[in-house]
Amino acid sequence: MKRFIQHEELARDSRFIRQTNAVATVLASLPDDVDKVVAVFEQLDPMIAQSVIGTAAEALYDEYGPAFGLITLNEPLDPNQTETLGARMRLVLRMHGIFAGELQALEGAGRSLWDFPDAPWEFKMNMARQCWDEARHVQIFEKLLHHVGGEIGMFPEATFLFECACADDPAQRVAGVNRALEGLACDVFRDMIKFATETQDDLMRQSIDYVLADELTHVRFGSEWVKEFTKDDPERFKAARDFQREVDKQFSFGGARSAREDAAIPIAWDDRLEAGFTEEELNELSEVSGGGPSRQTLRKAAEILGERHRAKTGRVAEVAQ
Amino acid sequence: MSEGKSEGKSQVTAKGRMYPGMSQDERTVFEPYSAFDIPADLRTLHGRYDVVSTALRVRNFRYAEEWMMMMMGGWLATIPELPAKTGLAKVVWETAQAADILGKRLPELRCGRKAATASESANKGFADFIEAVSEPESPDLTIEKLTGIFDVLKPHLIQVYEKTGRETDQICDAPTIELLEDIVRKARRHVSWGKEVLDRLCDTDAKRQRRQQRSSQLRAQLEVCGGVTGELTTASA
Repeated sequence: MKRFIQHEELARDSRFIRQTNAVATVLASLPDDVDKVVAVFEQLDPMIAQSVIGTAAEALYDEYGPAFGLITLNEPLDPNQTETLGARMRLVLRMHGIFAGELQALEGAGRSLWDFPDAPWEFKMNMARQCWDEARHVQIFEKLLHHVGGEIGMFPEATFLFECACADDPAQRVAGVNRALEGLACDVFRDMIKFATETQDDLMRQSIDYVLADELTHVRFGSEWVKEFTKDDPERFKAARDFQREVDKQFSFGGARSAREDAAIPIAWDDRLEAGFTEEELNELSEVSGGGPSRQTLRKAAEILGERHRAKTGRVAEVAQ
Repeated sequence: MSEGKSEGKSQVTAKGRMYPGMSQDERTVFEPYSAFDIPADLRTLHGRYDVVSTALRVRNFRYAEEWMMMMMGGWLATIPELPAKTGLAKVVWETAQAADILGKRLPELRCGRKAATASESANKGFADFIEAVSEPESPDLTIEKLTGIFDVLKPHLIQVYEKTGRETDQICDAPTIELLEDIVRKARRHVSWGKEVLDRLCDTDAKRQRRQQRSSQLRAQLEVCGGVTGELTTASA
């Protein structure tokens, strides 16, 4: 078995289809300019249209056009908003995305065992434990996906989590996976717990609360191993920090996950502090993630793109977003 | 407790002497028993392995568990069947724990305080065998991946661990016996899970044939190298 695989090599059963990672990459670098956001999505339109065929996202594409992701993923979960297709699908889409993320996190932790055979034993123990935790998370989110009316494979899977974070250097990999992505998981899960509490969904609240506890442990693994792998090597430490910053930016989805007031997913400050992030690191994360277009800009761009799409296809607009 | 302690100072109570004194007539009142009388313990001293050879076996076992854990970790990404992926992840963790407790035994066997992460293949043949088990890569080879672990390697290890437990000094080397018993208990569960998954995956004659072929090839290689400790005979394989 070779070492270091590409994200295209992740094995899936016949329920899954892939989505290009380009959209997520583009989202991380969009400017706060309605016309430019519109132009970018129009350029990506054929690729997005192709990727949703035969999936539940096809209905979202038909309704909103290429920017359906801005209406679903970049908007907060709101228990009171259920009148539009976008609002109804938001929770299922997010749950499906988390399920796929956990799957890739499982695969990433497993590959760390095989890719770095000479790593210290305690690192291997931590990664082996993480494999089991992530496998349980896959099982938990499969159940939760069913709980909210979804099913595996209903949306295309983007493998950019594995692609972005699984660096060939173990220090960078733990910085990317355990600090950036597991940190992101803390933000997403705290937001989901808030939603579950508001909707009095105790099954969801309790299970995600347990998952969040695991994620804090994984962040701690990351913090310890970045230190260990880079001790006495400031250049390697800087490279790991830079890599983590890059992953943090990539996974802020143009400010959707940030400390901004209009963020769909706020930074889980207290959970992150408990996991071992410093105030200084969190301030830096706020800065890195806070760039990109405002929600107002994205809403306006989505509106224009939706109108153009409907004009092209002759569809009538649903209730206004 | 404190009351007893103060009584002990006076050495002799109404019931007789509680603690031995320095002369022949200063013995306690307690009946003599062998360390093996209650309950009756028929174990005897002396086993097949001395400290040095037990330490070597533990390093051999740890080598197998560590590599098995690493290769199964690598496969998590290349196995498309979701329940096999998630189930295997738990086996990864429990196999890592097996390697860990084996390693922790090594400093207790005079291998040095830093020996807890030492692994050693019995010979090049066994290292080659491990490489052969880890070879399948592409997503259409789940049967070959799981057969190597659950039809061949883990059953072999269970057999050797149980044999070691029976043959080593039952009193002197009891800590090794205890940890092997714990590993075997979980390994049996792994094998039972793996065989169930394989039975389900091998739902045609062609697939059953693949499993059979893979298993025979690896067993033959295991016999040639002598297994995890290098001392396996054909009859015991």
